[in-house]
Amino acid sequence: MTTLDASQTEPGSRPGSQSGEQPVSMGDKLPAGTGGHLPGRIAGLLPGLALLGGVGILGKVMEQTINGYCKAHHIVFPNIEYVLWAIIIGLVLSNLVTIPKIFEAGVGTYEFWLKVGIVLLGARFVLGDVLKLGGISLILVVVEIAGALLLMLWLGKLFGLKPKLATLLAVGTAVCGVSAIIAARASIDSEDEDSTVAIAAILALGAFALVAFPLIGHALHMSDRAFGVWTGLAVDNTAEAIASGAIYSDTAGKISTLVKTARNAMIGFVVLGFAIYWSRQGLASRIEHKGAFLAEKFPKFVLGFLAISLLLSAHLFSKPQVQALGNLSKWAFLLTFAGVGLRTNFRKLFQQGARPLLVGALGEVLIAFLTLGLVLGANAIWGV
Amino acid sequence: MSNEAAKTLKAPTLSLDSWAVLTAFLLAALVRMGLLKSIPW
Repeated sequence: MTTLDASQTEPGSRPGSQSGEQPVSMGDKLPAGTGGHLPGRIAGLLPGLALLGGVGILGKVMEQTINGYCKAHHIVFPNIEYVLWAIIIGLVLSNLVTIPKIFEAGVGTYEFWLKVGIVLLGARFVLGDVLKLGGISLILVVVEIAGALLLMLWLGKLFGLKPKLATLLAVGTAVCGVSAIIAARASIDSEDEDSTVAIAAILALGAFALVAFPLIGHALHMSDRAFGVWTGLAVDNTAEAIASGAIYSDTAGKISTLVKTARNAMIGFVVLGFAIYWSRQGLASRIEHKGAFLAEKFPKFVLGFLAISLLLSAHLFSKPQVQALGNLSKWAFLLTFAGVGLRTNFRKLFQQGARPLLVGALGEVLIAFLTLGLVLGANAIWGV
Repeated sequence: MSNEAAKTLKAPTLSLDSWAVLTAFLLAALVRMGLLKSIPW
């Protein structure tokens, strides 16, 4: 899967449509520091990494302090997890203070930590569970992807969006948010401006989902498993999907990760389908080797997750070692959640125009209902 | 050396996904070998 650096995932910072600058893709590589050589590049990441760590740890401290205070003074207050605190602190910083450029490269590593966390989380699932829940998830994922693609393309047409912008929004909504948009952008030869707008819409809606989904889940008294499946199916960006689940509960976060990983695994097929469609229209380059294209687009961290789960199932790790791997995974996610808050700047996101945001928002609401129906149906049939 | 030749000789760069998988496996190996024992949370 492809990713972006911090400045790119924050579309307003390099808006091709606003300032005339083109968004610069980092490709599928780690964000680099400012120096030219490896030590310089690593040194360039340190300030941002320290900021991610500081915000994450502050989130943990807030959770423990507030919960401890409320317990000691018998005050009834909802248990706000470190996940939400880390995101809130990051959001406050990125929206009220101009974060100096020196932090950008390190903050941009949040997606790297997300993938490290997902692979390590494989140690919390034996392969049998992965295959059972993953199998059910795959059925739901296929239905969700088909429904989301059709719906978003129809809404795009209805609201008069440019066809390639509608395609990017559809891919981002159906599969895995920003990463899917970047993967599709190159494959369908879309304009940079379209991808900037689509990314802005997906990120704005992802930030909204962090608050809305847990509230709805609690209102409907959803079980941890059902809620995890729902967020894994309905929330677009992987970081936000996992964060929404983790805000609800630890179990919901784990299930959300598994379902979202199954959804991410479909990225190659969806992007290939659109690449073939646009190439037949004469508006994109032809894909010569479809197998190689699928292998290139397939997210490698999905294989890593399965491999670690396989090692666990082969009893390669003792109980304390599994605990240690689980905690390492939590630390990696902590850096990710801090990054989610730090790279979200609402003012810049809303600069990208109302219509794509409206189409995205309408689509998200309908997809949330569709997937909620799917989860409740699957719960009745398979006991998800 | 021409630019083309330099391009051909350039070592292939790893993707973000591959780096993440390698890092996770390195951490798992350190835990398995007992070099990383208890990770506080």
